[in-house]
Amino acid sequence: MLLILGVTGTALAAVVATSLGLLPLVGRPRLSIAGFTSLSGDLHAATQESLLTAAAATMLAAVMGLTIATLVARSGRGVRLVIGLAAAVVTVPHLVGAGATGLLLSDVGLAQRWSGIPAAAWPELVGGRWPWATVLELAWKESAFVALVVIASVGRQYAALREVAAVLGAPPRAQWRRVLLPLSAPALASSSLIVFVYSLGTYEVARLLGRAYPEPLPVMAYRLFTDIDVAARPQAAATAVVATGLALLVAVIGLPLVRRLGADR
Amino acid sequence: MYPRRARLLLPAALLGLAASACAAPGSPAGSTTENRSWSQITNQANGQTVDLWMYGGDQQGNAYVDEVLTPAAAKLGVTLRRVPVADTKDAMTRILAERQAGSKDGAVDLVWVNGDNFATGKQADAWRCGWSSKLPNMKFVAPNDVLVTQDFGASVDGCEAPWHKAQFTLVYNSARVATPPTSMSGVLQWAKDHPGRFTYPAPPDFTGSVFVREVLYSTSGGYAKIPSQFDQGAYAMLTPKLWGALKDVAPSLWRQGRTYPRDSVALDRLYAEGEVDMTMTYGPATLTKLVADGTFPATTRVLPLDEGTIGNASFLAIPSSAGDPESAMVVANLALSPAQQSIKADPDTWGQFTVLDTHLLNQSDRARFDNLPASDVVPPYDVLSRNANPELASSWVHPLDEGWRRAVLGSGS
Repeated sequence: MLLILGVTGTALAAVVATSLGLLPLVGRPRLSIAGFTSLSGDLHAATQESLLTAAAATMLAAVMGLTIATLVARSGRGVRLVIGLAAAVVTVPHLVGAGATGLLLSDVGLAQRWSGIPAAAWPELVGGRWPWATVLELAWKESAFVALVVIASVGRQYAALREVAAVLGAPPRAQWRRVLLPLSAPALASSSLIVFVYSLGTYEVARLLGRAYPEPLPVMAYRLFTDIDVAARPQAAATAVVATGLALLVAVIGLPLVRRLGADR
Repeated sequence: MYPRRARLLLPAALLGLAASACAAPGSPAGSTTENRSWSQITNQANGQTVDLWMYGGDQQGNAYVDEVLTPAAAKLGVTLRRVPVADTKDAMTRILAERQAGSKDGAVDLVWVNGDNFATGKQADAWRCGWSSKLPNMKFVAPNDVLVTQDFGASVDGCEAPWHKAQFTLVYNSARVATPPTSMSGVLQWAKDHPGRFTYPAPPDFTGSVFVREVLYSTSGGYAKIPSQFDQGAYAMLTPKLWGALKDVAPSLWRQGRTYPRDSVALDRLYAEGEVDMTMTYGPATLTKLVADGTFPATTRVLPLDEGTIGNASFLAIPSSAGDPESAMVVANLALSPAQQSIKADPDTWGQFTVLDTHLLNQSDRARFDNLPASDVVPPYDVLSRNANPELASSWVHPLDEGWRRAVLGSGS
């Protein structure tokens, strides 16, 4: 535990120090917030893009994950197959998923060829105005994760509780709303929080499937870090600080909510 | 008592590590003269291992180094190890970090570098200098060759040895382009006449960056009108026309210029899939292979421009923190030999143009170059490099890239 804190703390301290100009690669250290202010417009746009992608991916992943969990909990048959598929999806690296999504959804990709829609009329899913491809790839992979977590937490309890509800005269929709949903809420909330924070920090998916500008915070941070001008390091560090701060903020806001839903019981 | 103290030891050690890492770079500058003779250097090099850090995404390049250069180096008593990196900037990060730490036995002995990366290293005093003149094979390089004495406007000063030359080339699909344009302004006009069929990679990608500089040469009336070193006044005077031309053509580009391919690989993919009819590259010799294996359409051709295109050279540099500098010098000399340069120039091997002046070679060596296979797609190097324009200084690259992002891409400040 102390080792984790030590390593993470040192890394964070180094990034914050670089963003404030205290650890320059060339030249004398000088305290300044130029790293943050010189790119404030870009930072703003990048933050919006990150939040949009993460929110959309989380909502879609939660909906898809809950649907899968509902189907599994309700039928009880084919559970092993669904869990097996979900586990397989979880093990696929995001990089591979992003590459596959690019090949599938691009203007001349598989989906376009199968659908017969001409390439010029194909919607701009990859690298377009809205991050469709990025969100879809993240949602696809993370929904498997959400489904596995929810199924694991709901487990066998649901069968017994559903019987009770059915005996008391509840129709299937009420069974879902009054029994399954509250039962899976803690797991759904906590896994959604994890998916949101992860999506804020994703690099390779946005790099491959997103547009050149505006780009999410991690992509912008890496571009600035590898800039030929070593004076761009403080700007890169500032972007990383903003991304980390955002993730911490989301965690701080979300954790009490999750706890209230009973996740730590 | 004992476990409690031990628990504080680790965080204290980590904090100490952090504190020492925060020290300002106080290590001595890279050595600026090489006083030993070549035979002394080769003697010391015997038995050393050289770590050559180079871009690892080029299959042909990797094969050349592994199968041709490494055995040749082994014959000289030097073990050559190729370290692939995704981007030379990764090697630069390592070199700069070792420089900051004052390391003398660094992991990087030799690095394939040019332009902005070389300038960054020079800015940080990270290169070993004054050694390239000691290489015996340097006598085959023309002494007044501007592409070799200046690296993107930065004076080389013996801090790196030349390795290849490159020529920026536009490439088009002759089946889809009926009347190929003959100048850069013609290319932009063609793009306007054929909406959605042309685009270029977004700077700071290397290829996109040089395309923007080519357009700058065109809108400024030639490279002679632009000061080679960055000048704010010249920038303010010349760039409005540049941004005007690029913004003017933007609505006719692929995706109406709302977005640009992120790098040259993405643009090549668009070209290969038929979404655009032109692409661009710094390495036209690879086109022959790309057409032969079916990646690019068989009707692919090189588009020569009347005013010529930008050419440059790339080099092998030795960091000041290198652990095996003598063997690195031996490898650099070997890479510069006529035998290696001619093998490397064969498109089937790697297709990299030579830095040697063939007029300085003897008869048999010159014949090696004359006998290189010809290609339908790519004209021979002396035709391709006719009217080669020099690069601007790397101090221009960053302002132009940033300016493009602001003016054309619409990035805020």
